[in-house]
Amino acid sequence: MLAIFLLYVSVAGGTPSIQPSQLHGRTGDVALVGKVTGSPAGDAQATGLRFRMRDVSGQSASVPVVYRGSVPDMFKVGREVRVEGRLQNGLFIAKKDSLRTKCPSKYVAKKT
Amino acid sequence: MPELGRAALALSLGLALYALVAGAYAAATRRRRLARSAQNALLAAFGSTGVASIVLLGALLRNDFSFTYVAEHTSRELPTPYTISAFWGGQEGSLLLWLLILTGFSAVAVVLSRRSAPDLLPWVVPILGLVATFFAFMLVAVSSPFQTQLAPADGAGLNPSLQNPYMMIHPPCLYLGYVGLTIPFAFAMGALLSRRTDELWIVATRRWTLFAWTALGIGQLLGSHWAYVEVGWGGYYAWDPVENAALMPWLAATAFLHSVMIQEKRGMLKVWNVLLVILAFCLALFGTFLTRSGVISSIHSFTQSPLGGWFLGFICLITLGSLALVISRLPLLRSKTRMESLVSREATFLYNNLLLVALCLTILWGVVFPLVSEAVHGEQITVSSPYYNFFLRIFGLPLLLLMAIGPLVAWRRASLRSLGRSFAWPAGIALAVGVVLLILGAGSSWIGLLAYTFSAFVLGSIGYEFVRGTRARRALTGGTWAAAFVELVGRNRRRYGGYIVHAAIVLLAIGIVGSSAYDTVRERTLAPGQTMAVSHYDVKYDQLVRRNGANATEFRAILDVKKNGRSVGTLESGKNSYRAEQQTSNEVGIRSDPLTGEDLYVITDQINQNGTIAFKVLVKPLVNLIWISGFVFLIGSLVALWPSAAEQRRLALRYRELRALARA
Repeated sequence: MLAIFLLYVSVAGGTPSIQPSQLHGRTGDVALVGKVTGSPAGDAQATGLRFRMRDVSGQSASVPVVYRGSVPDMFKVGREVRVEGRLQNGLFIAKKDSLRTKCPSKYVAKKT
Repeated sequence: MPELGRAALALSLGLALYALVAGAYAAATRRRRLARSAQNALLAAFGSTGVASIVLLGALLRNDFSFTYVAEHTSRELPTPYTISAFWGGQEGSLLLWLLILTGFSAVAVVLSRRSAPDLLPWVVPILGLVATFFAFMLVAVSSPFQTQLAPADGAGLNPSLQNPYMMIHPPCLYLGYVGLTIPFAFAMGALLSRRTDELWIVATRRWTLFAWTALGIGQLLGSHWAYVEVGWGGYYAWDPVENAALMPWLAATAFLHSVMIQEKRGMLKVWNVLLVILAFCLALFGTFLTRSGVISSIHSFTQSPLGGWFLGFICLITLGSLALVISRLPLLRSKTRMESLVSREATFLYNNLLLVALCLTILWGVVFPLVSEAVHGEQITVSSPYYNFFLRIFGLPLLLLMAIGPLVAWRRASLRSLGRSFAWPAGIALAVGVVLLILGAGSSWIGLLAYTFSAFVLGSIGYEFVRGTRARRALTGGTWAAAFVELVGRNRRRYGGYIVHAAIVLLAIGIVGSSAYDTVRERTLAPGQTMAVSHYDVKYDQLVRRNGANATEFRAILDVKKNGRSVGTLESGKNSYRAEQQTSNEVGIRSDPLTGEDLYVITDQINQNGTIAFKVLVKPLVNLIWISGFVFLIGSLVALWPSAAEQRRLALRYRELRALARA
């Protein structure tokens, strides 16, 4: 019984987590996971921080993102981040305060 | 030097392998001298792992950047304490710490059990050897801390978030917990292998379990406090997989600590206890694995992380192997007695177990769901705080209620009359508290109100137990109330230590509920001289100062804080810009109120060119109870752990009884 309940709740309440290359044509709420590229510019507290994201591995096309809210300390070009929001007219509009970087204390950065 | 480290680790691997192979052979063929030599191999493995650890520590302290590990995790500017903490700041070093603690614990357990549980030890040693072999193998072949390179001029430095006193103690504390769970697991398996399915293994490892569980609990609280003061988003727990990694084995161990009491008192739940200890140990391995690989981020990183496959294979081996062993011993694990009533102490223990395990598995499901969904339909679906918070309420509130009910219900079968008598006071207090809180306006969150009413119920029931016990003791021995109280606790450390831990959990619950259900958050951009009001505080941004720290440039906003219109001093909040690591970090300003346990929490979100600052200010009522609960938790655990002469005599008697029974 618990198993069915869990399955239901997690499917109904979960957010699909996808990479920028899979974003094309999707309009629902998703969590976008990828690497920060471009040169982040703009005011995250006012009109919004603008940057681009591409897939974590491999060279994919990048998606422009606009984000408002707190910017984590670890946010930087090249870092892996996760941000929630939806695609509108080719621009990924992020939800306020949804930007996360990987927990710095535990995850080991992949060696390049 | 790196050669010495590598050699020491290779020796550890050889010794662990010997303990496994020779130990198993000795146990199967009942060869005493060989079994003894396998035990000694475990002791020696501690020595050689110690040598390897000293080599690494020496290299860290000397800034010997020819060690790849040292170059990747330290820099010349890094203060010495953090250079030491870099030992466990990376993957290779933390695996070495695992092995060091494991062999150390194994050595202590072996020496202690030679006297207390000699008939279990022959099969315990190969199990410990197996786990040590795995970690030694990883260190020798897969992830060596002694890789060398051409020394660069300076190291890459330590992640600024880890440059915090908490990081000196939080990871080792968690490791003591993870590794500590190996001991009860090894004894459980040893008991099954030697067909000693009575409670000897439980009695022999009670302290180990308690110790590991305490370390895990304290380690998590330290981690939460670190997140609160250092990571600086205003919270202390985010249901991140790496946080859940420590919570899951702790929950399983909590269930285990409760259910073993039923086996000790009533001889029931033997299979369940073995399964719980397997679950706790596997989750501890899984936790180590999670924190040491990015596996949860994607199913595809499984193959990319060098550790992933090995760890997964080992966890599978342990899980399947131990389950197969349990199945093969099922006939020996039958209970002698049965549950007599659904309203009894053992029944409340059982409900508590079901709830704890359900919560644990729910969290596990949430952690692995992204992988499951990716495997099933090719797309990751992640669950986040709402999922976990929902289940924390669903399972946590009944747990809180059970904590109040449990101590008041008699063993075997409770009559309605006795229930009514013992419930009257605690339930009355709980209702009164609920009504008062409702009048004070706590009804803005009905879950909060419910949690507080239950909390009052638990505290009332614990208080009632202490009063009842003290009164009975005083009637028996006379003397003062204080003397009777001390004697009461001293004679039943386990029971009353447990109640103190319950009180700690209630404090924790009150703190969590207060700071999450009744908090206030405001955001505003202020120019110097401007003020913002948050709840009953006024925060005025006075000026921005810039200082040069040891390894970072510090920017601080100086804030004048008024509470209820009265000035309560200044507060600093800002950012550090680390030079070697080229990174910034939030340095939040926190003002704690010692009387109410409330925090004013100021985050400097963004410092603008024109001198204005975007602040985020939180008021978190009762949040300090969370940290205080850690101390109470520790006191309770220590009371339960502290050896007493009376208990030693009881234990010795128990061992003799059990041994005589086993022979008969």
